[in-house]
Parts: sequence; structure tokens; C-alpha cells
Amino acid sequence: MSALAFAYPAVLAALVVLPAIWWLLRLTPPKPVVEAFPPFRILASILKREETPARSPWWLTLLRMLMAAAVILAIADPVLNPRENTLVASGPLVLVIDNSWAAAGDWQRRIDTASAMIDDAEARDLPISVVFTVDRQHDAVPTDAATARTRLAAAQPRPLPAQREQAVAALKTALADTPPGTLAFLSDGIAGSEDDGTISALQALQPAQLRLVEGDGRSTIALTDANNDAETMDVTASRLSAGEARTLALTAHDTRGRAIANGTLNFAAGEARGTGSIAAPFELRNDFAQVTIDGLATAGGTYMLDDGFRRRRVALLTGETHDASQPLLSSLHYIEQALAPFSDLVRPNVADLAAGIPELLEQRPSVMIMADVGRLPEETYAPLQRWLEAGGMLIRFAGPRLAAAPADDPLVPVVLRKGERALDGALSWSEPQPLADYPPTSPFAGMPRAGDVLVKRQVLAEPTPDLPERTWASLADGTPLVTTGKVGAGRIVLFHVSAETGWSNLPLSGDFVEMLRRSVQLSRGGGVAATGEAQGQHLPPFRLLTAAGTLSTDTGEAKPLDPATAGAAPATADNPPGLYGSQDGFLAHNLFPAGTNLAPLPLADAPSVARESLIGQVAQSLKPALFLIATLLLLADCLIVLIMGGAFARRFRPVVARGTTALALTLGLGLALATLAPSPALADDTRPNDAELLDRMDTTHLGYVVTGEADVDSVSERGLAGLTEFLTYRTTLEPGAPVPVDISKDELAVFPLLYWPVSASADMPTSATISRIDAYMRNGGTVLFDTRDQFSSLDSGDTSPNTQRLRDILANLDIPPLEPVPPEHVLTKSFYLLSNFPGRFTGSPLWVEAELDQQQDPNRPARSGDGVTPIMITGNDFAGAWAIDANGMALLPTVPPDETQREHAFRSGVNIMMYMLTGNYKADQVHVPALLERLGQ
Amino acid sequence: MAAIGTIVERTPSAEVLSRAQARAALIPDCLVEAHRLANTVIAGWHGRRKRGIGENFWQFRPYVDGESLSRIDWRRSARDDHTYVRDREWEAAHTIWLWADLSPSMMFKSSLGSVSKESRALVVMLALAEILARSGERIGCPGVMEPVAARNAAERLATAIAHSPLTDGLPRTDMIRGSSDIVLIGDFLDAPDTIMERLAPLARRGLRGHVVEIADPAEDLFPYAGRTEFTDPETGQKLTAGRAETLREDYTRAYQARRAALADSLRHLGWSFVAHRTDHLASEALVAVHMYLSGMPAPKAAGDRR
Repeated sequence: MSALAFAYPAVLAALVVLPAIWWLLRLTPPKPVVEAFPPFRILASILKREETPARSPWWLTLLRMLMAAAVILAIADPVLNPRENTLVASGPLVLVIDNSWAAAGDWQRRIDTASAMIDDAEARDLPISVVFTVDRQHDAVPTDAATARTRLAAAQPRPLPAQREQAVAALKTALADTPPGTLAFLSDGIAGSEDDGTISALQALQPAQLRLVEGDGRSTIALTDANNDAETMDVTASRLSAGEARTLALTAHDTRGRAIANGTLNFAAGEARGTGSIAAPFELRNDFAQVTIDGLATAGGTYMLDDGFRRRRVALLTGETHDASQPLLSSLHYIEQALAPFSDLVRPNVADLAAGIPELLEQRPSVMIMADVGRLPEETYAPLQRWLEAGGMLIRFAGPRLAAAPADDPLVPVVLRKGERALDGALSWSEPQPLADYPPTSPFAGMPRAGDVLVKRQVLAEPTPDLPERTWASLADGTPLVTTGKVGAGRIVLFHVSAETGWSNLPLSGDFVEMLRRSVQLSRGGGVAATGEAQGQHLPPFRLLTAAGTLSTDTGEAKPLDPATAGAAPATADNPPGLYGSQDGFLAHNLFPAGTNLAPLPLADAPSVARESLIGQVAQSLKPALFLIATLLLLADCLIVLIMGGAFARRFRPVVARGTTALALTLGLGLALATLAPSPALADDTRPNDAELLDRMDTTHLGYVVTGEADVDSVSERGLAGLTEFLTYRTTLEPGAPVPVDISKDELAVFPLLYWPVSASADMPTSATISRIDAYMRNGGTVLFDTRDQFSSLDSGDTSPNTQRLRDILANLDIPPLEPVPPEHVLTKSFYLLSNFPGRFTGSPLWVEAELDQQQDPNRPARSGDGVTPIMITGNDFAGAWAIDANGMALLPTVPPDETQREHAFRSGVNIMMYMLTGNYKADQVHVPALLERLGQ
Repeated sequence: MAAIGTIVERTPSAEVLSRAQARAALIPDCLVEAHRLANTVIAGWHGRRKRGIGENFWQFRPYVDGESLSRIDWRRSARDDHTYVRDREWEAAHTIWLWADLSPSMMFKSSLGSVSKESRALVVMLALAEILARSGERIGCPGVMEPVAARNAAERLATAIAHSPLTDGLPRTDMIRGSSDIVLIGDFLDAPDTIMERLAPLARRGLRGHVVEIADPAEDLFPYAGRTEFTDPETGQKLTAGRAETLREDYTRAYQARRAALADSLRHLGWSFVAHRTDHLASEALVAVHMYLSGMPAPKAAGDRR
């Protein structure tokens, strides 16, 4: 076999003319007239350019000669490694051809290789047996060359892995003891299984020559898995040749085949397994129908997706005050951490639930999670109910607010008992409870029992007959932990514990993540349709993948697919890869299940196998390379001529100057842009009352709610003025003048404390106003309700009108459980040491938010609450005691008339203000001696 | 194509002399007007066109008190009521230095010119010497000959040049004393600044100069065309122009600019400048220089060609 042959050797005779070309190239330009010229210097000053030397240098001539030689050689068309007929004539030619998915990339070359062999066999008059490994019937009987060519032309690659055992068996039957001459195995190079015996089975046929013809396997890459992650879609792929590092482009297509996103697939050097990602917004990712590798039109380079891949959008709501500095105490923190990897979380932008819930519903979430929300604004129930009935899923977590909520809440799946059940504590003999096994009807079934989860506190469901079947998880003593109920097409799920660690350590366990994931997966978005309805029902083929990696409606031979096998086993001839189901819901059945690795065909015990490559790969024409060399030489020659002609020498200086100018221009322009651009176009976002708002932010003001009744409002104003004066005189706090606040309109966020004298004769605030107060309290504000009726109730023995009004107001507010100020509360110590909080009257307790999970520890000097109570209620008429006239004299007498009581009333006001402004800092202050002692000072 | 310009051999002094004498015959006697207050004291044969010591009548003027009575011209005074004094013309000989540049660049003759630049320069120089000697001036050549006052000054100058060849470049001027006139003949192809650096000290010493620029028409018109290799006769450098005709405009501009700059600088010194081309008659240059020497006002327009 000669290594080099020429297609047109006659052209080589043209090399004879090279010397003539040499002579032509050496021709000199006309000799110049030599002139003596005395004013030479003047001439030299205007004639700077050096003329090219008359003779071109020898190396330039050589370069041109090389160029000419390259062109002549290229026209002669040299070919490396031409083919020869090497078939063994002792028996029939047997062609075993893999028409699997991996052969689709270079199918034409495989056909060419096979036809070349058939040509050779025809030349030697041999019978030919052609057998394809992916075929329903294997016809291996030796035929003549024409038939073999017809069968070869009719063969197509199939989007399936090769099934070689049947092909070899059919071959054995057809040959019937006739030993074949040359047996050529056109393989795709992929091992069918761990111990692929194809080669030894072929050797068992005792061919005179066994040839293994393979492609380079570079394009044998299969996408095996795709996962929707938080930011990206992660794709896993396997390749046959674990060679050098490769980076391939990925494209995601939607259901109509349009490319909508791009990513990359990376194989590290020597790694057969590669990973890739496609970064896209999740709305876009939900539209992904298939992921393909660019430039790789095979079934393996295409991965189909179905609805199960879609990420759910989850809306989060909480009833508690946001405190970004203490995430571990926030119930949403655990939910976010658990859900963020596989769903998209949205939160309302406003604290006001009346505005926040419609905002969330507008974003069409699949799931809404409410952590410890006891009561929602009245008008939000209806849209929530509609959303639920349309198929939404509401997951609720219990908490102090839910425990204190009234029992008529429509958004709980079971009837709850008021209050919560403590399983641990000084007053309880019960122990914290672990979880029981999950009931088989629960979606959590199959998860191992969470052994290390202990529940210390929970809300209890009223026992009903259907409670067991509504229970997804329960405690070891049988009380339900997770209950559910269907509402229309939607569903409500209630976790009977809080979403933070106060009630149980469930949020810290991995079961929490898994429970949430399974619950969210149940929500609408595809999972229900794919698994719930199609249970046990075979899906008809809907769209099938072709060998070129495109979807087609031709479902000729495919049989209905058992959903259980989808994604679990490689595709077969009965169930080729494709989409199964119908237009409304389909299941993607991919070529390979997740985790498949492509392994090369084992050849360890096959020493007599001759390996060769596909045709047209090594028999290379050198023509393009020669022409390329000639072109490069021409370019080099042009460049040299230009340089020698001084084209660059003359332009060098101007170019430098121009370059400098351009640089200066660029710099100047940049500077000009830099100076022009940063004048930012400030949007005019001023609003009415901005000046007033800024003024109130500069100085702390005490605010009181305007009731609309002149006498009440004037007492409030004078009272707060008195307290302001007292604070200025006694403390470092120097508040501004008291501000009347219209709670239906004014911005509330600038006031740390709102004094609200409840008056039964004033107008009842509207629900919108109540919602504003709710948001104000949720954002960390505090309202001090003063019913001023400590003694008025003595007359009737019943609740006074003011108290009744207060109850009406609070009925619409989501307020925590309350308690009278306990003796160790911070309020009693924040500035003065106080034991009670009198106003104009005395005797009424001051109600604050109860700290439920606080251990009763007599050794602790103060209870350290996290956060500040959002609400305080008294009946002692603080403002009446504080009220002073313009001269600083008290306006109203105290009851009983005791100036010490007035002094205490003022001190109560100071303590409340200090508590408002310093929060738990004051509580921590009591630990200072201990801390200093621990620091060794 | 034959070359336009050629380098010529050096012209023999004797031949130049005879040609110069022939040309000198065409020129009337010249009287050099010298208008300096500081005069040389050597008595000469020609008047200075101002009153002073001499023999020829200059003017009558009214007698002023205090003058010597012996100076009154009684014959004239008798004709009217006034008293007149007869003034005589001041007569003084003048030294004139002649110098010609004989550097290699002068050895050039093109097909357009009749003689070489060097030949023309020598002729003009010797003709001037002849004329001036005839008028009784003292003729010198810096570095070659001390000033002499003799009828045969031109012959003596030619002999002196023949024996001590004129050197390149501008002359050594250390032998020039007092104020006198100097006539410089050459092609002055150096940069005007370089030339003026040499000439300015002379002017500061009070020398009155006359510069005659001899140019070949080929230098002035640049008649070259086609692929031409130019060589410098002084340094031997070469320049090849692919198409010489394309350079004509630029070259002419530069050449004329040099001449204008030179003429302008000379005018500032009060020197005269005469440009002369070898295809013109030598007498043209001679007349022009003679006119300047005879006291014509300094040229207003620089570089008017003769």
C-alpha cells in the first residue's frame, strides 16, 4: 500500500517550468537614468522614499517558487493512504452493521464503507451477507451484491441501542457452518452490557478475517439526565471516548421546537461523564420540552422533558414581625432553605396582608405557604378561596397566632382546638413525642420514619371520623401532625407545629425538606396529571424521537408504555424513546435512564481482530492543505512586497500620530462621556407630605390617634405634651411636639408608639384602616390602647362601651396572645423600677404580648423578649394623668387625688417609651455584670 | 535617454580670463559709489559723489561765516550780490573683494545651459575685476590675493586663482580689513540659514555685499522625467525617483522658497542679491552687479533675476 498517490500524475510535469518561473521572477525593473544633481539636498528633502532595490532578494524568489510548486502539486491531487481490495476470498463476506442511535452521526460514511466492501466482494465474486443489529427481523442469508446494496440503501439508523445477540444468532443460523471469509463488524463502539460478548460470538463463527470497523466515537455522546435546579437546568451526559476536555453547546427547545435557551456541556479531560447547565429564568425553563447538543443530530444528543420537570412557584407568607437580623428565629427561614433548591419562592413586597395576598395571587403561585398566620384581613378570604378551588395548594404551619385564632377559620383542613398542647415543661408530665410511621395513604409513605424528630408543642385537631384518612403524618401517640383537606380542585395542608424550632426540631431535620418537597410536588404544575391519573394505565405513544433527534408523529411500531418503566430502563424496539400520553399530559421516555454510562466495546480477548476506520477518514486528499499553503505563501509574499515597497515605512509616522490622535480622541471622548453620563436623571419621586414626613423622621415624635372627638383629642395632645416635657427633663430622649395621627391616611412608620384612646362614641375605623394598623404592628410598631374605663365599669359590672369597642377593633386584627405585664418583664425595669403602671386611674393591668415559650426561671432577673410587644392595652387613662396646661400645671386630677400616682404615671410613660426605643437591649443590660465577670474584669 | 546635466572639468583660468576681458569691453567704466562716513584714506581717481577733497568741481554754495576767505570763488561771487564758495568732489579709491565658489556642485552643466556654472562664475568675477580695475578700484580675493590697485588686476587675479585654487564653501574673511565691498559668486545651494550664518558676521563688520547666484536652468526648471537616479556631486548620495516628473512641482516650490529666503535675509543685511542662470548672457549679471556697485538703491524686490 503506497502511502502517497497522485490522482493526476501528469500535472507533475509542470514542475519542469519552475526554472522558467525563476528566470521570470528574477527580471529587473528598467534601469534608471543617472543624473548628477547639485540641489540634491532640496530634492532629498521632498523625496524621502527609498526605492525598492532593483533585484528581488533570493529568498523572496524562493518563496514564490515554493508557491508555484505548491499549486502544481495541489492540482496533481495527492492522496494519502488510498484504499485497496483486501478481502479474503475463502468464503462469503459478512457485514454486521450497527444501525443504532450512535451510528446516525456518520451514517453516510458507514454506508460508504459497507458499499466499498460490497464492491470489493463483487469484484471477487463473493456472496454477501448483511445483517443489522437494530432490526426486528434479521435476514442474514448470503445474497448477491445487488440485493446487498438494496438492503444497505434501505437501512436507516434507529434511535435505539444496538441488540447484537439476536443479530449474531441469526447470522449463525443463516451461515450454517460455512465459515465466512471476511467478517466486517461496523460497530458504533458502545458495549451493549457490562460483559458484551459480541466479538467472541463473532469469532466463534470462525471467519478467516475479522475486521472491526469503528468511527472515531467523538460524536457518541448521550444526554442521560436533566434536573431543574434553583438557577439553572443541570444536564448530565456520558460519552464514549474519554479523551481530551470538550465543551459542547446545549440548546433547549420548547414544545414547538424553537430554541429558547442556551448552555454548555463540559467534559473534563479523561472523564467519560460530563455535566452542563442551562441558565434561564424559571418561567422559561418551564417551557423547555427538550434539550439537545448542538451539532449532534442523534437520539442520544436529545433529552426530552415532561411536566414533572417544571418548578413550582411558591408564595410565602408569615404573620410574625420580620426581623432580618435574626433569621434563625424566623419561621420562613427554614421553609426557604428547604424549598429554594427546587422551587421558586416569592414573598409579598408589602407587609399589609390585604395588599400582599392579591399581589401574590397575581403571580399565580402553585403553592402558598403561611407560617403562623392566625387571621387574615377579611377581604382576602374570598380570593384565596377562589384560588384554592381553582387548584391552588395552601400549606400552613401552626404557631402562637394560629393557636390563638378563633375556631371558625375556613382555611384549615381540620377543626382545631383553641390553644396549643405542650408536651414538655414544668407543668406537664408528658415527654416530647417522636413521629410515628407515615400512613400508607400519605404522600410521605416510603420515607423512613423520622426517628430523631421530637415535637414539644403542637396544635390539636378535634377528633372527627375522617381524621385518620386526612392525616399524612402523626405523632407516636397518634395525634395528627400533618393534616390535609381538599377544597375544590385545591388542597390545604396543615403542619400542626411551627415552622421554626420553638415547637419541634422538625424544621432542622432532613424529613422537613423531603415532606415539603413531596407536598409541593403534589401541587398543580404537572405532577398530579402525570402520576395521579395515569396510575397503572399504559400510555399510548404520542411523539417519537427519530434517529436524527427530532420528534415525529410517526408511531408505527411503538407500543403503549407502562409509566413505571419510563425513565427506569433503556428504550426498546417496543417502546422507542419519545413522548407517551396525549396532548394534555405526556411522559418523556428517554433513550437512556439516568445514570447510564457509555462503555466502549470490550476487545480484551480478541487478538485476531483487525481494527480499521471508516472510509474517507484516512484516505485523505492533500489538495486543500496544499492550496492553503499556496494561499498563505501568497499572502506572505504580498506582505513582504508591501513592506519592501515602504508602504508601512512611509505610513509609520502618520500611523503613530494618527494612533496617538485616536487614543487621545478615545480618552477625550471617554472623559467627556464620563463627565456627562454620571449626571443621573433623577426621577421625580416626591410625594405630597414629604416635607412633613422628613420633619417627623428627624425628631422622634409621640403620636396619638385622632378619634374625632375634641375633648378626647385635646386631652391626648396635652397628655403627650406633658410626657414629652417629662421625658425631655428626665431622660436623654427629647421628643418633638406630639403629632395627631389620622390612621386612615398618615404614614405610620415614623412613630415608635401610637397612643390610641378608645372611645365608644367615635367612629368605628374601617377595615382598610384596621389593615393599616395590622401592617404597622407587623412592621414593628406598637399601639397603646387606652380604654380609660378603669372605674366606669364599676357601675354596671359589665364591659364598658370603650372595652366593647376595643374588642370590636381587635377582632379584625391578627394579634398574639396577651398577658398582664409580668413582674420580671423589661417594662418594669427599662428606666424606673416599677411594680404597676397607673394613669389617672390605677388598678388596671397593662396587657402586653405573652411570651409563651418562656421558661419560668426564678433566677433570671428579667425576661429577654425577642422583639417588642406590638400591642399594649390599659384602662388607666395615661393621657389624663400626663396632661398639663400651658403653664405646666396638671389639667385633670388623679383618682384618687394623689400626686405620687401622677409621678408614677409619668414614670410609666417613660418606661414604655424606653422599652419602645431600646427593645430587648434593656433586657440584656441586666446581664452586664455577669458578662463582665465572665470577661474577667 | 542621455542625461540632462553633466559634471564638467574645471575651466582653465587663462581661457576664462580672455573671455572675461572680452565681456569687460562691453561694460562702460564704472564708478563705485561708496556711501560710508568712515572712509579709506587712500586717494583715488574717481569721485565719491559728495563734496570733499578732490580736484573736480562739485557745486557752488553760499558762503557761511567762519569759513576761510580763501575758499571764496570770487569769479562766481562777482556775478551777483552773494558770496559763493566752490566745493570740489571728494575723490577716494575703494577696495572691492571678489570671490567665486568653485565647489564640486558648481562643476555642472546641463543640456539647457550654454556653459557650466563654474565657468560662468569665473567669467563674471574676472569681468568685474577688469571693470573695477579700470575705474581705479582696489581688487582683492579673500584667501587668494591681497587687494591691488593696478590696471591689470584681472590678469593678476586670474594668475592668483590659477596658482591657488579657490576652496570650497564660503571664503575666509580674516584678511578683510575696514569697510569695503565684497562680491560673492556661487550657487548657494546650502540651506539659507547656513549661508546667513556665514554672511552675517561679515555684514556686522561693515562689509557691503553683493551676492550673485549662478544657477543652471536644469536646477531651476527640473526638466527630468521617468525613472531617474539622482546623485549628489558633493557627497555621492543617490536617490531614485520612479517618476521624476511627479516631483517637479514640489521641487520647484522648495527651490524657489530657498532662493526667496536667501534674498530676503540678504536684503535685511542691506546686501544686494542677483540671481543668474547660465542660459542667459553673462553680461546681464555683470550689469546688475555693476549697477549695485555704482550706488543704485538697494533692491526692493528680492531675487529679481538677471
